[in-house]
Amino acid sequence: MIPLREAHLPNLLVPIDIQDGLPTAPSLFALSEGRRVAHTAGVTVFAVVMTDRHLDDALAAQLGRAGADKVLACEGPGLGAPPLDLTHGPALYAAVERIPPLLVLFPAGGAGPQLGPGLASRLGGAFAASADLELGEALTPLADGVGRVFVRRWRADRTSYRRLDPVELERPVVAILPAGGAPADHGSGAVDVEVITCVPPAKVGVVELASEVDDLAAAALAPILIVVDPAVGEGALARLSAAAPAGVTVVDAVAGAPAIATAVPRVVIAVGARGTVISGTPRSRVGAVLAAGPARPGKTPADVLLRVAEGDATKATIDDLCASLAALAGAGQPS
Amino acid sequence: MNIVVCLHAPPPDPDGTGLGRDDTHALAQGLALADATDGKMVALLAGTSHESGPLQRALVAGASRAVRLGGEDYASVDFHTLGQALASGIKRIGADLVLAGARSDDEGLGAVPAAAARNLGFAYIARVEELAAAGPRAVEVVVRGGGRKRRLRVDLPAVLSIVGATRALPPPSDRTGNPSEVELMTLNDPETTVVRRRTELLGKPEPASRGTEEVASAAALVTALARR
Repeated sequence: MIPLREAHLPNLLVPIDIQDGLPTAPSLFALSEGRRVAHTAGVTVFAVVMTDRHLDDALAAQLGRAGADKVLACEGPGLGAPPLDLTHGPALYAAVERIPPLLVLFPAGGAGPQLGPGLASRLGGAFAASADLELGEALTPLADGVGRVFVRRWRADRTSYRRLDPVELERPVVAILPAGGAPADHGSGAVDVEVITCVPPAKVGVVELASEVDDLAAAALAPILIVVDPAVGEGALARLSAAAPAGVTVVDAVAGAPAIATAVPRVVIAVGARGTVISGTPRSRVGAVLAAGPARPGKTPADVLLRVAEGDATKATIDDLCASLAALAGAGQPS
Repeated sequence: MNIVVCLHAPPPDPDGTGLGRDDTHALAQGLALADATDGKMVALLAGTSHESGPLQRALVAGASRAVRLGGEDYASVDFHTLGQALASGIKRIGADLVLAGARSDDEGLGAVPAAAARNLGFAYIARVEELAAAGPRAVEVVVRGGGRKRRLRVDLPAVLSIVGATRALPPPSDRTGNPSEVELMTLNDPETTVVRRRTELLGKPEPASRGTEEVASAAALVTALARR
């Protein structure tokens, strides 16, 4: 466990997810969120890149423009592969030992579920599987150079929030931020890069046997997600998919369950009885389209609820929803 | 192969199955793997006697044993403490492989299996979709991440968190077991007790102020969601 004194250094770390050589949109958004609070909170925003090759200057500049003050490149064999605690945990732990964090903010749809819980356990810190980054009402620093910055997440039953403030907790906080659309480029492309050379673990204990493109990757990264219960009827998924504008991802509630479990969208629409298990973050908006029947509003974690009769009424509602989706295109942007 | 499946008591739900969704998958995967390897599967839960329903379900489904960690109010501890307590129980039971539902802790965090792995010194892999034996000391798993869907061979011992699979597994079948045979295990590990006294549920609860707005059309639903 990192000593308390060091843990309160005002560093905000964003582990960057790289896919096809580029940072994911949620990674850039997470940096942008860090930049948003950096001045008031007095934090330094670090982008942490785990890579098996020398970090490209253009990529570092992109991270700087998205909000990073500095880039910490953890370079070592195998770190270009999709992250696992077994293979990437030691590199991440080397990063937090070099730069003790106040907050570690994983982007949505990436390494957070694999690496976040283990990191929080190692740091003795708090963990939020989907949270918003917030600034406190009081701007007075609570410690030298540290303002009030915290994350807020739903409690599981969505009846209340839980506020995780690293200063109050006297522990670092590890959280996964939502996918929030395009980042605001408020940073600078001129960014310092510090390199940590990582030696691979002597015995990893895991071997890759096969690998294929994840057909559900887009759903995990989506800022706006429509989850369709297959019980709604054949054609609903196809019609909604065809009507979805850029930035809106439509997924089958059953076939897409693994990606839905990882997704942290800003806006969710659950069509049918399944899918309302996604509650997102406190700032997410959840809509539910439910067929008539034994619906229980008290158990529906929806901000907006539409009840429809079965049969033709459901089909007409799907058509109406298809025609309305264009209005959602900008709704994933943070306010 | 000795398998321990960590279960959690879900909130009371008259229409529920008495098991968390991911716990159901973890239990089904554990039973299938025990069958395939001529091994044993032990169900483990930290909680009160009133919360032992999932253990009774596990026994009915075919678990070799069902063990309840008792003696403390585990509802008011954080994932660090719960993970440490489960690890202490697992050490006493003995396990090559530990399975847990990915989002089946109180707050849906998925952090308890990681904390248990850390306390056990086991490898940890999150959000496993598929699981199969790969010899006496390894398993094959399917996980997603980094834009890839990968099949991996993982050496044991390991802790795996299980997420609802693409191919839905059937619920555990009613086979054997006596629901009254839930064993009680109390922890007297001084180290665990010290940590339990030092920790508390992390974070400050705040009331939520949002309600549910009912609308009459899909267009109104989209408009309401787009309005921020």
